[in-house]
Amino acid sequence: MTVDFIYNFMIDLLPGFLGNDFLLILAMLLPFFALFGFITVYGFGVIYAELKVSSFIQDKTGPMGQGYGFHAGKWGFLQPVADGLHLFFKEDIIPATADRPLFILAPFLIFIGMFVGIIAIPFGEAIIISDMNIGIFYILGVGSLAVIALILAGWSSNNKWALYGGMRSAAQIISYEIPAGLSLIVVILLASSLSMQEIISYQSGGMFNWIIFDNPFMPIAFIIFFISALAETNRTPFDLPESESELVAGFVTEYSGARYAFFFLSEYVNMFVISAVASTAFLGGWQSPFPNFLNTPAWSVFWMISKAFFLVFIMIWVRWTVPRLRVDQLMHLCWKVFIPIGLFNIFGVSIWTVLRG
Amino acid sequence: MVKYFADIYNSTTAILSGMYLTINHLFRAKKGIATLQYPEERWPRPERTIGFEHGSYNVIRSRLHVDIDDCIGCLKCERACPVDCIKIETEKSPSRGEDIKDINHVGITSNSTKKALVVTRFDIDMSECCYCNLCTYPCPEECIFMTGGPNESRHSIDYEFSEPERTDLIYHFSKPGTKDGLQEMLSNREAEA
Repeated sequence: MTVDFIYNFMIDLLPGFLGNDFLLILAMLLPFFALFGFITVYGFGVIYAELKVSSFIQDKTGPMGQGYGFHAGKWGFLQPVADGLHLFFKEDIIPATADRPLFILAPFLIFIGMFVGIIAIPFGEAIIISDMNIGIFYILGVGSLAVIALILAGWSSNNKWALYGGMRSAAQIISYEIPAGLSLIVVILLASSLSMQEIISYQSGGMFNWIIFDNPFMPIAFIIFFISALAETNRTPFDLPESESELVAGFVTEYSGARYAFFFLSEYVNMFVISAVASTAFLGGWQSPFPNFLNTPAWSVFWMISKAFFLVFIMIWVRWTVPRLRVDQLMHLCWKVFIPIGLFNIFGVSIWTVLRG
Repeated sequence: MVKYFADIYNSTTAILSGMYLTINHLFRAKKGIATLQYPEERWPRPERTIGFEHGSYNVIRSRLHVDIDDCIGCLKCERACPVDCIKIETEKSPSRGEDIKDINHVGITSNSTKKALVVTRFDIDMSECCYCNLCTYPCPEECIFMTGGPNESRHSIDYEFSEPERTDLIYHFSKPGTKDGLQEMLSNREAEA
């Protein structure tokens, strides 16, 4: 689904129609709208899943619609729609003492940071919007854009809780970038490429060729990457930036209505991006678990999305199980546990690669 | 160094055991749900034991109920009400002590009193009611009572009457269309005469 592919297809289909520049812009916009639709549908699905999984874990039913009148549909399917409408129709409050331009900029910035990450995620052999040769590095890079947005949100709100939340999230995300990067370096060592597609093609040929089963160090790297990624998404157990019991709502304290919805949605989109990167780097990406079986383009989209959703489910599961860490425990986990083990992992995998030839 | 790895081992096993517990709750969600879909499902009412024969004592005041066929429109309950939550309007009956079929009016109460008045409005706002039970004592026909207690046989106990609108808590006990029907009937009779 690269832009070039769509562009060439349209050139063949409509020769000399309205000039080639227009077609180029159209070819760029089509994947954008496809992506936007995907994010919307995914957002509704994952919010519903979050509500239901959390409720079942706590022995509740979650949103249910029974009987007559205004209800959230059968089994509460319309609850995310109702939540979204509710958020978008709420009054948009900007505090009088807030730094107005930065306050308005922050939700857009965080959403852009999440959104541009998706374009490098491969959904199939040809189904990738931009197959750049530094794909994994690019995703790590734009993922860090969230730090700026969170600090902007915390600072511009002119609120002590928001500022604390922004500072905590900066410390947290910058710290956890390091173990996440260290465990991806191990993958890059094995695949000897930064391109997402080449990392996936290294893992072709069934489940036991996946990088997570490549050598004994890889499961540890996967767990470190997954937990660090969880910390970067600011979700429980690492939701210190927005811990309700201490900071009201952290950096989103002053946000309401559609701007809050942007923060909310970007958290879930970030979960998907992180899960997609984890499944690309460790779980074979769009490759089928069985060699030469169910490997057509349509199935590849299915495998990619189901692997990513499985990891998203694990994130939801962890969120409703594990209590929040303290600040010192958070930093202890990152600097004293993950980084030494990550460095040891790089050393071990390097030796392993040299010895195996 | 040993403590470092022991700590990692302990926290890992602790998290895994917790996650095992929660996934168990997730997968037995079908039968382990502790909550009810409230307006559609309700907990069964427990058998009440209050230490004595509760049918003899009026200890349960769940909500006011009026047997409108027995009401003679004497307004004693309206005057007794300390919060003025009872509103009664009456019209003179065209024929004392006789049934009026058009508006389902019953002429004689169950105490054999001939009714001189037609009750066109009998509203009780249960959101204002203070459950003092003072309206039930003056009633000569014993037609207004609290459900529950000794009156349980006369009207099913209604201990949860939540409504989506506050105006839904105003109970209209007079038969619908009594006022208009009576006026229409009287004007028809005048036209005939």
